[in-house]
Amino acid sequence: MLRRLLSLYGLLFFVFIYAPILLVVIYSFNANTLNMMIWDGFTLDWYRQIFGMETSITQSATYVDSTDQLYAAVRTSLIVAFSTSAFSTVFGTALALAVARYRFRLAGFYRTMMMVPMIMPDIVLGIALLIFFITIGMNLSLLTIIIGQSTFLISYVFVTVSARLAEFDTSVEEASADLGATPAQTFRKVTLPGIAPGILGGWLLSFIISMDDLVITYFIAGTGNTTLPIHIWGMLRRGIKPEINAIATLMLLFTLVIAAIGLYFRSRRQK
Amino acid sequence: MTLARRKLLQLVGLLGAPTVFLLFFFLCPLLIMLVYSFLTPGLYGGVEWQFSHLNYGRILGWANTRYEKFDPVFLSIFLRSLRLAALTVVTSLLVSYPAAFWISRMSPGRRDFAIFLVTLPFFVSLIVRLFAWVLILRPTGVLNQGLMGIGLTSEPIEFLYSDFAVILGMTYVFIPFMFLPLYASIEKLDVAQLEASSDLGATRFQTFRKVVLPATMPGIIGGGIITFIPALGNFIVPSVLGGAKVLMIGNLIEQQFLSARNWPFGSALAMLVMTAVLVLLVVQLRLARREEAS
Repeated sequence: MLRRLLSLYGLLFFVFIYAPILLVVIYSFNANTLNMMIWDGFTLDWYRQIFGMETSITQSATYVDSTDQLYAAVRTSLIVAFSTSAFSTVFGTALALAVARYRFRLAGFYRTMMMVPMIMPDIVLGIALLIFFITIGMNLSLLTIIIGQSTFLISYVFVTVSARLAEFDTSVEEASADLGATPAQTFRKVTLPGIAPGILGGWLLSFIISMDDLVITYFIAGTGNTTLPIHIWGMLRRGIKPEINAIATLMLLFTLVIAAIGLYFRSRRQK
Repeated sequence: MTLARRKLLQLVGLLGAPTVFLLFFFLCPLLIMLVYSFLTPGLYGGVEWQFSHLNYGRILGWANTRYEKFDPVFLSIFLRSLRLAALTVVTSLLVSYPAAFWISRMSPGRRDFAIFLVTLPFFVSLIVRLFAWVLILRPTGVLNQGLMGIGLTSEPIEFLYSDFAVILGMTYVFIPFMFLPLYASIEKLDVAQLEASSDLGATRFQTFRKVVLPATMPGIIGGGIITFIPALGNFIVPSVLGGAKVLMIGNLIEQQFLSARNWPFGSALAMLVMTAVLVLLVVQLRLARREEAS
């Protein structure tokens, strides 16, 4: 009896997690132009609309957010995410390697301190960065977004790579050295391939978080650098429009693909 | 070059650049914010480099000048944020605990898949997830359609822009934060101990209270803290689901920077959030130490 109840509850739990997301996807195909909340047949018009194609929905043409703006936001987000994740991956991996493979007094200190940027409430970090950039006279730009996001994404990469390094057997490295490989060779041929899944995981994680970061980016983006989450947030504040469903569904698809890639590599690693 | 020397150089090579980067772009900004919270706001935005404790006085009660007056509203917004964050922790605990228990009893293959399903939404854009709840809670939304459909209410109820909506939204967003630490401690539960408890005549409730609950306490505390911290300073959830009616400390800080242009006061408010977070972490560290000792 109790078991049954628990299973029923578990199913409800998953409904709670997934129903809202599914709802957005369903509504993105709703043909009803007058009341977006009432289902009125299937359409792809909202997708056509966000790509700037002609649609049968004439009156909605007035509340289309310009496709150009959306494209610009996607472009900005991609540039930021690629730069930030690459940068954070290099720095995060370097720190993880140093802490895991060298004996030095501050290693424990580093390990604790790397948690701090992840715990820091994002609004606090966001305004601290804003004040800092203005005080040292740095103009808010794509560069400030990249720097700002990296301050906490380095930690995410650090944690992911460190976890991989901890699983990784150091005796293989020792064997390589015993067999006469130089430290550089050992690193390139043994250590690096061994921790590659961790590095890839850290890179994907930082890429997804960067694409989605709203709060910190919001404070340090300045005018003219709208990322995708900021763009959608702006659309939401101007009113609930059906095309947001379609944009949200596309974003969903994008993150799911990246998450699936990441998990695929993680499952391969475990075998 | 000796081996030790070469190793030292390698270490410096690995640590140097990231350390300098983080000191300059992470630590410095936080220190400058701390300094700003003790400065005088400039007349037209910016700051004047003159010491002032009145930014804190406006929040905590001793400011009483023409421009800088104590207003209890700031403290009450802070207290409301503490309350909403605490309620979010409680709801996500109540929602996640039975689910974590259920999943921990599955076969290993299904278990991994279930955990994957719980964590997956974490990667879905925050703004998309909040938008989904707007669709559900708004007056013409799914929830009201359902309630009116079964005749529970004839008029749509305004669920949005309330404490309820904000707590629900934060719970939804932070579920993986609560679930994972909780699951980790529930998974470690010793089945033999549970059986022993019931063999010795304990009722299910007694077993839960005396055996299960204490054993999973580390997960409850850990999950609670990492849910509480982002909930406390949150300003996206209250601004999407709470509107102007449910202001949290995060919204107040944002206003000081983007509309009121009072940076020192905004910094003081942010320091308040930081202090709350630090107190919490110290408490957790103490508890963890005590646990290790016992």
